[in-house]
Amino acid sequence: MRRRILTTAALLAGSALALSACAPSASSGGDQATGDEVTLKVWSWRTEDVEAYNTIFDVFEEEHPGITVEFEAFQNTEYNQILTTGLAGSDGPDVPMVRAYGQLQPNIEAGQLEPIDGEVDGLDDIAPSVIAGAKGKADGKTYAVPLATQTLQMFYNKQIFEEQGLEVPTTWDEFIEVNEKLLAAGVTPMALGAKDDWILPIFADIIGSARYGGSEFEAQVLSGEKDFTDPDYVASLQLITDLQKFLTPDVVGVSYTDSQIQFTSGQAAQFPGGSFEIATFRNQAPDLEFGSYQVPLPEGAVLDAPVSPAYADGNFAVNSKSEHKEAAFELLNWLATPEFGQLVADELNQFSAIPGVEYSDEVMKEAWANYESGQAPYLLLVDFRYGEPLGTAVLGAEVQKMFLGQQDAAGAASTLQQGISQWFTPGE
Amino acid sequence: MSAITVPKVRRRRPSTGVALSRRAGLVFVLPALILFAVFIAYPLLTALSYSFFDWTGILRGDFTGLENYVRLFTTLPYSEDIPNAFVHNLLLFFGAMVFQNTVGLGLATLLHRTRRFKRFFQTMYTLPYLVSPLVIGYLWSLMLSPLFGPVNAVLRAIGLGELAQPWLGNPQTAIWVVVIVTAWQWIGFPVLLYGAALGGIPEEVDEAASLDGANAWQRFRSVTLPMLVPAIGTVSVLTFIGAMEAFPIPYALGGSQGNPAGATDVLSLLFYRTAFESGSSNAIGTSSAIATLLFLFIFGIAILITAIMRRAERKLF
Repeated sequence: MRRRILTTAALLAGSALALSACAPSASSGGDQATGDEVTLKVWSWRTEDVEAYNTIFDVFEEEHPGITVEFEAFQNTEYNQILTTGLAGSDGPDVPMVRAYGQLQPNIEAGQLEPIDGEVDGLDDIAPSVIAGAKGKADGKTYAVPLATQTLQMFYNKQIFEEQGLEVPTTWDEFIEVNEKLLAAGVTPMALGAKDDWILPIFADIIGSARYGGSEFEAQVLSGEKDFTDPDYVASLQLITDLQKFLTPDVVGVSYTDSQIQFTSGQAAQFPGGSFEIATFRNQAPDLEFGSYQVPLPEGAVLDAPVSPAYADGNFAVNSKSEHKEAAFELLNWLATPEFGQLVADELNQFSAIPGVEYSDEVMKEAWANYESGQAPYLLLVDFRYGEPLGTAVLGAEVQKMFLGQQDAAGAASTLQQGISQWFTPGE
Repeated sequence: MSAITVPKVRRRRPSTGVALSRRAGLVFVLPALILFAVFIAYPLLTALSYSFFDWTGILRGDFTGLENYVRLFTTLPYSEDIPNAFVHNLLLFFGAMVFQNTVGLGLATLLHRTRRFKRFFQTMYTLPYLVSPLVIGYLWSLMLSPLFGPVNAVLRAIGLGELAQPWLGNPQTAIWVVVIVTAWQWIGFPVLLYGAALGGIPEEVDEAASLDGANAWQRFRSVTLPMLVPAIGTVSVLTFIGAMEAFPIPYALGGSQGNPAGATDVLSLLFYRTAFESGSSNAIGTSSAIATLLFLFIFGIAILITAIMRRAERKLF
């Protein structure tokens, strides 16, 4: 008898353990749509922005009585899995922050997100390469409101430029001259951490986008009129080799974080990077005076004015299983207003995807003005991350090989073309 | 329980001396069995079943048989990445084996002879093994940084400046850094295991050989080493599994892409990239196929090594 009790107890304990491991936690009470009170669950990977988001959603709650926003942030690296599980179950978010472009497609294809065309106003004003990050590749429908735009440009240390008597270059010759002078003065002209391959396609587009033709080339590649073996694209990659002597020595051995330190500590005068660097530079070196410029047109450039390549970073979508879709769309409509855009600028220090936002930070203002004057897509991220291998990953490794002298521009371009051909068919 | 069944049980298991009914035994095994079933057997079988389907995001599509496996060997990037990563896994294994069975065994033998500071040195050698490999990898990447790292600075300071180089930036050196750091981190493991095995060899055997006129090397070669075969077998199997599953150190030193230019890529990184970083909607199918192949390979070879070592042991005793 005693033995049987023991058996039962062990069985129960075991199965309880097993159950608690798989079962989703019981849904929190109080968020049923009784009366007018609705609680919207918003999920995000920005754990560092929780306070800022709470401030932002306080503004929303004040203007929209009856809706409470519950903001929850998860570890960035775990977020995709957490979100996928959350959206599949019944206890997920009503309004999840979702990735952009290719990384968004699995959620769309699994039918986890609600299309928002016609439900949300203000989407037409958003730049095409940015709203493309919120669309389904297969059906062309819009599934989310873009949150932020990242622009890519050359940052420079104002103090070093002043000490060396340098001006922001406006022609390619001036650009080379600036770098030559810095090199002669014993300052690393440009900090680059080529050990981390993801920064390299960014570098390639900062210096080469205008050379290969920015969004013109994008349209031609997508339609099949041209491909990456095009002489203009190869020439844009050739610039990387041409500029190698101005980069951090042993560039492939240097990590991205090391290159940031090189710039913020004044060992390097320039840093080709995204607008997401601004906050990092401010944190690492509060006294650093820096600005940014668009790399001037190289010889033979297809475009006639310099550009800042850009892409959308993060979107807000509506869970197709949400029980509060009406309120969720109300929130999404608000997320597409310049009012929210301004809060993104002021509270999160990011470029909003919504036009008509003013930036108070000098560096951000300058970078945004540059972007407004000449825009281009960050081509490999915007259009070529929809299958394996990712365009950015292929080019990253190829540029490393170029730095190591194992590959030339034409070879890198043809490997890129071969890689994306695995899943990309022009004209589809 | 009647008295008649007791002798039966005794006869079946004469050595244990404790009589347990099958049901009671089951109760003791059950908690472990449930944990194993839920956390190991179930995910394994799911991964296996996932690998036979086409996926769109997390929606399971049609049954496609071996298509995911075929894709691994016929389409880019897998057809290039898999052999490349596999060779690096093998290098990690052989590097670790050589290091552990020379330096590791040597240290264990030396420590076995010392009386003073034995514990101290044992602890020192085992210390890296106790630190998270991710941390180890990160520390080494800092030390080897061409800009701020002390390794190159020291080389330059002592006049060996021409040896200073971007260790992790050069494909020729990067993989060896991964191999050596991995071997360095694991060194405490054979030191402990061989130490224990050496302690288990009766001193009389060694003494007898010495009286027969065997010198130190002969005693080690013909007496100590054969007695260590079981320990060497254990170390080999565990090193093999560890090398095939290597992830944290390559990840910390070369990132998820196995930088530079795939020079430090290993199979687990390839799996990680495919499963969590690819834009492909069939990520689940492809990555499950990689995981299944990796498991079958590790499982098969581990059994093989164990069998070979068993045979070697049987010859011995």
